[in-house]
Amino acid sequence: MNTIIETRNLTVEYKAQSRGQPKKRALKGLNLKVHQGEVFGFLGPNGAGKTTTMNVLLGFVNPTAGDAFLFEVNVREPIARQRIGYLPELTYYYKFLTAEELLRFYAKVFRIPRAEADRRIDALLKLVELEHARKRPIKTYSKGMQQRVGLAQALINNPDLLILDEPTSGLDPLGRMKVREIIQRLKNEGRTVLFSSHELGEVETVCDRVAIINEGELKVEGSVSALVEQHNTNLEQVFLKIVGYQPQEAA
Amino acid sequence: MNIVFAIAGVVIKELYRRKDFYVLFVMTAVITLAMGSVRFFNDPKIALYLKDLCLLLIWISALVIAIATTARQIPAEREARTIFPLLAKPVTRWQVILGKFLGCWAACGIALVVFYLFFGLVSASREQAWHATIFLQGMWLQWSMLAIVIALCLLGSVVFAAPSSNATICFVIVGGILVLGRHLHKLAMQQPEPLGSIVTTIYFLIPHLEWFDVKDFIVYNNDSLRFADCALASLYAGFYTTFLLVATWIVFRRKPLNT
Amino acid sequence: MDRLPQKTFEHVRKPGPYALLALLGAMAFTIGTVLQIRVAQWAGRSEPGGLLQTVLGNGRRLFANHFFVQADVYFHSGYYPSVFDAVPRNRDRSHLRQKEHDHDDQSEEPRGDAPAQDESSQHEKEMAFLREPQDWIDRFGRRFMVTSHQHLEGGKEREMLPWLKIAAELDPEQPETYLVAAYWLRDLKRTDEAEKFLREGLRHLPNSHELYFDLGTLFYEDRKNMDMAANLWELALKKWQAAESAEKKPDPLHLNQIATHLAKLEETRGNTGRAIELLVIAKKVSPHPEAVQTWIEELRKGGPRTIH
Repeated sequence: MNTIIETRNLTVEYKAQSRGQPKKRALKGLNLKVHQGEVFGFLGPNGAGKTTTMNVLLGFVNPTAGDAFLFEVNVREPIARQRIGYLPELTYYYKFLTAEELLRFYAKVFRIPRAEADRRIDALLKLVELEHARKRPIKTYSKGMQQRVGLAQALINNPDLLILDEPTSGLDPLGRMKVREIIQRLKNEGRTVLFSSHELGEVETVCDRVAIINEGELKVEGSVSALVEQHNTNLEQVFLKIVGYQPQEAA
Repeated sequence: MNIVFAIAGVVIKELYRRKDFYVLFVMTAVITLAMGSVRFFNDPKIALYLKDLCLLLIWISALVIAIATTARQIPAEREARTIFPLLAKPVTRWQVILGKFLGCWAACGIALVVFYLFFGLVSASREQAWHATIFLQGMWLQWSMLAIVIALCLLGSVVFAAPSSNATICFVIVGGILVLGRHLHKLAMQQPEPLGSIVTTIYFLIPHLEWFDVKDFIVYNNDSLRFADCALASLYAGFYTTFLLVATWIVFRRKPLNT
Repeated sequence: MDRLPQKTFEHVRKPGPYALLALLGAMAFTIGTVLQIRVAQWAGRSEPGGLLQTVLGNGRRLFANHFFVQADVYFHSGYYPSVFDAVPRNRDRSHLRQKEHDHDDQSEEPRGDAPAQDESSQHEKEMAFLREPQDWIDRFGRRFMVTSHQHLEGGKEREMLPWLKIAAELDPEQPETYLVAAYWLRDLKRTDEAEKFLREGLRHLPNSHELYFDLGTLFYEDRKNMDMAANLWELALKKWQAAESAEKKPDPLHLNQIATHLAKLEETRGNTGRAIELLVIAKKVSPHPEAVQTWIEELRKGGPRTIH
């Protein structure tokens, strides 16, 4: 099975905010693999290093040590990002552009020919139900609509790998269902999805495998069913146990 | 280059969808037309002061457009987080810088064409003559100067986090160079050491933006500049701009961008 | 009493906030129009000041010199020393009231402060303030700035006028501004505007002998009105003498100018006695007393004056 994402001893350190303080190690020798066709859940408490890992994979941050690969190409090469789609957690796009203009801009970035770009834009706007608002500037959109524009731009290049950072954050139940449907459809088409989420119920439903990190270290990695069976409880309890959560004694 | 042009296109759209350009153009036009309607000693043929004023307003407006537009490009993208979906695509940071530069420069070029067309109409209405060569040379040299200013401002935008501080510093530097640039070596001679050496070093290092200010030639209807001089000045602008853009890339490529 | 049915007024809407806004605006406007007149009276003014006075206040005088210099820059077609070039600070601005071809005209006492031939070459030297370029930046930079000394001519002197007008608005108590403007207005055959401008100057400077003299010259040369010219020059003389009595140290050359012009006029009118009195005054301050003495001798003899 092809490895789509791989990190080898990935370490990221940030400079101290003020003098005298030690450097902050966001990732400590992370080794991770995601295979083709998987829906991979990336879990961890706040500050665990999930966002830093994604930032490295997307080229926003350079690793202090170790390497990361997308499609066996080092992430330092821009071409590594040719076949990926990224949906950030906080979706902000150029407010003065319309949805159509935004998608056309990203299509140009991917060097998609004009006719093909037009076809994809029409299909995507229909998929995310923004056809009625395609000519309106994004600044007039609601949060849910902006999230859907984000999803559309992540899919404009028919990505083989989709990286989703909290994709259902801020969405109503209908919106969440829509996102789950899209993820399922991509999986059926043989594409790979990496997403981080705090909605563990959703992760349990959608993901094939998960990795749980805490304090920059990989704590556990495996299929959802195996972890649930191993710990004889649901994913949320597994998560709490792995990160070392101790319930407080009742008074 | 497709990616660069695509990014540049977004910058141009931003300029004409924001109101800055229209406000500045209307202000220039209103002030010029108001001054033009004044009759000094009942003489309708007086033209130089109007040309002088109009050109000065064009220079100020063009600098405001250039610096204000450029100063907010990268900081605003970081603040609005639009840089992340962009850099998550197969786009290098150099392409982002070049795209932003070309977009700002092209936007300023479009603004200059509109301003100079207006200036040409005002000038022709008073003088019934049009000195096309020096006019075009003046516009081209001003556009070349704006390339240096935009590149400088882009460098500032990756060094300073806030667009406002970057814009202020750029205005001060550009204004200082335009006013003092050609006189710095005279100032240096009047200073005690080591200040004199420092000022002399600055004199030789700064981009001499005052070379591109040929308003006097246009106002006084002087003969056009030699094409060789124009070409050399353009080459100078090209080298300086490239230098500043490369410096911007060197600083920007090392900056971690955290979502 | 029968009550009106409820439904009658349902269609009448309440005025709402827009009406309140309109009412407040109307009240403010009405109060403003009443207050404006009263405020002007409080400040002891019968009418409001001009735009520049309102915007800049008394600080406007600081800018007046800048606009006068701007007129000088225009006269020299953009070639002018900057503060960084080595030029004596108190430049003589008399060149602003002469054309280049006036340098050869020596048939009578020079008009205004027009310098003689050697002084015009002094002006040329003064305008050669750009030294040899010190380095390649300086050398190349001079391709993009005006580097030749060229006076406006052929009617283009009108281009200086807006700056002189603005300079007079900003600081109405500088006689030089009115004198330079009037000189060029007369040269452009705009005698009415020149007279009007000089009279405007006299409203602000009622004791300026220079302005009276220039106005008299206008009537003498352009309007050919000898009586008016004589009256104005007499007034100029009185103002000069009053300034001297008040120890304001007026320029003796001005006295020379006034006295000689008036003397010539009186000679033309046949008032030889008065002409001689005036020449005696002029002789005391003239740079050429022997020429003046010769003139007096000739007048006393009663013959035609030999022009030197």
